Amino acid sequence: MQKKRIRLLAEMGVAVALAAVFNFITLFRMPQGGSVNLEMLPILVVSLRWGGIPGIITGLVYGLVQLALDPYVVHPLQFLLDYPLAYMMVGIAGFLPVRNMLDEGIKLYLRVLPGVLLAGFGRFLAHFLTGVVFFSEFAPEGQKVWVYSAIYNGTYILPSILISYIIIIPILRRLLKNEGFK
Amino acid sequence: MLRNITIGQYMARDSIIHNLDPRIKIVITIMMITALFFIDTFSGYGLFFLSVLVIIYLSRIPLIRIIRGLKPVLFLVLLTLILHIFFTRGGEVIWQWGFISIEAEGLYTGLFMVTRIILLIMFTSLLTLTTSPLELTNGIEYLLSPLKRVGVPASELAMMMTIALRFIPTLLEEADKIMKAQMARGADFESGNLVKRARNLIPLLVPLFISAFRRADDLALAMESRCYHGGEGRTRLHELKVRAGDFIALALALLLCVAFIYF
Repeated sequence: MQKKRIRLLAEMGVAVALAAVFNFITLFRMPQGGSVNLEMLPILVVSLRWGGIPGIITGLVYGLVQLALDPYVVHPLQFLLDYPLAYMMVGIAGFLPVRNMLDEGIKLYLRVLPGVLLAGFGRFLAHFLTGVVFFSEFAPEGQKVWVYSAIYNGTYILPSILISYIIIIPILRRLLKNEGFK
Repeated sequence: MLRNITIGQYMARDSIIHNLDPRIKIVITIMMITALFFIDTFSGYGLFFLSVLVIIYLSRIPLIRIIRGLKPVLFLVLLTLILHIFFTRGGEVIWQWGFISIEAEGLYTGLFMVTRIILLIMFTSLLTLTTSPLELTNGIEYLLSPLKRVGVPASELAMMMTIALRFIPTLLEEADKIMKAQMARGADFESGNLVKRARNLIPLLVPLFISAFRRADDLALAMESRCYHGGEGRTRLHELKVRAGDFIALALALLLCVAFIYF
């Protein structure tokens, strides 16, 4: 195993721990159980620094850790969508990495935006599908399940994306500076 | 703000359930939860509930802990019940007021679905209450290892989980320390709207990230100097061993699953 891989492995593990810590710092709690917090932030940072695949793996590990700490399983498909998949989707931000765009002279907050939006949308999609699965399993037929699910999940994921975006910029700026980027 | 946080649900006890092999416990949980979806009578649920009670008794976990664990699903349970009561039609009318009516079918299906959700949550929380996160990680690593052939790095995933679990308390403490230091300088973490509060968190989060990543650097160095080279050929201090009791538990669970479906 080369040096860089061990470094990456350690950073991913610590990032997952950070995400779990942020899960405790709730900024706003929804009555239905979703909460606005920064758990996406460390996964975003890893994926924007190292790329999409490490980001997705970090998301997967975070999902597994959540599963080992505080699982919430009401359906086999919900389990797959909510735990590994939702957080793995956050990792896809890294397919639009920050570094590659560094030379083009675009401002950091513009460079980061598409990745953050993509990640947020990916996570929303996973939780949205969970809602559809849940309601079609447990709720009566003929209800507009996708509307419920979109509102339910949108109310906490949208603000979470917003605050993650606000905070990721100074963090990335600082980390890039430490590594000698402008 | 960050003190007195319990990480995870695990309650250490010396019980038959606690001492079962984590892999067996994970497999049994998956089996039981799947079986739950095939139960279509209340008597089947009764039997399931009875077996949950027996496991709770054997595990020496106070019943109140399990009941408290149901709090997060309260909203979903009520929503499901209300939707069914008012929107599922059929059977005789039990209660009517203007255009709102409750029909037998709705009440029955509603209660049925709610029982299913409650039993699901009870059983999964039994797993995490009786199995420590580290044991679960070992179990997950073992159960994922057949996927190594298709390129899933099971041991590395488990290593990252272990690192994460190890660092959660450390980073919580660190977050608390930085928070207090910034509050002493007049930082305010608890007022204002969402955007303002997010901005106020920057003086906490930037140092926290920097120090966490510095820890990752040190850790990588330590791992390297101890010749960590991935999962290949790695040995452990405590090997997981499947004992007779584990086989008995597995056989009992299989029997129960069959019983649920034909009950």
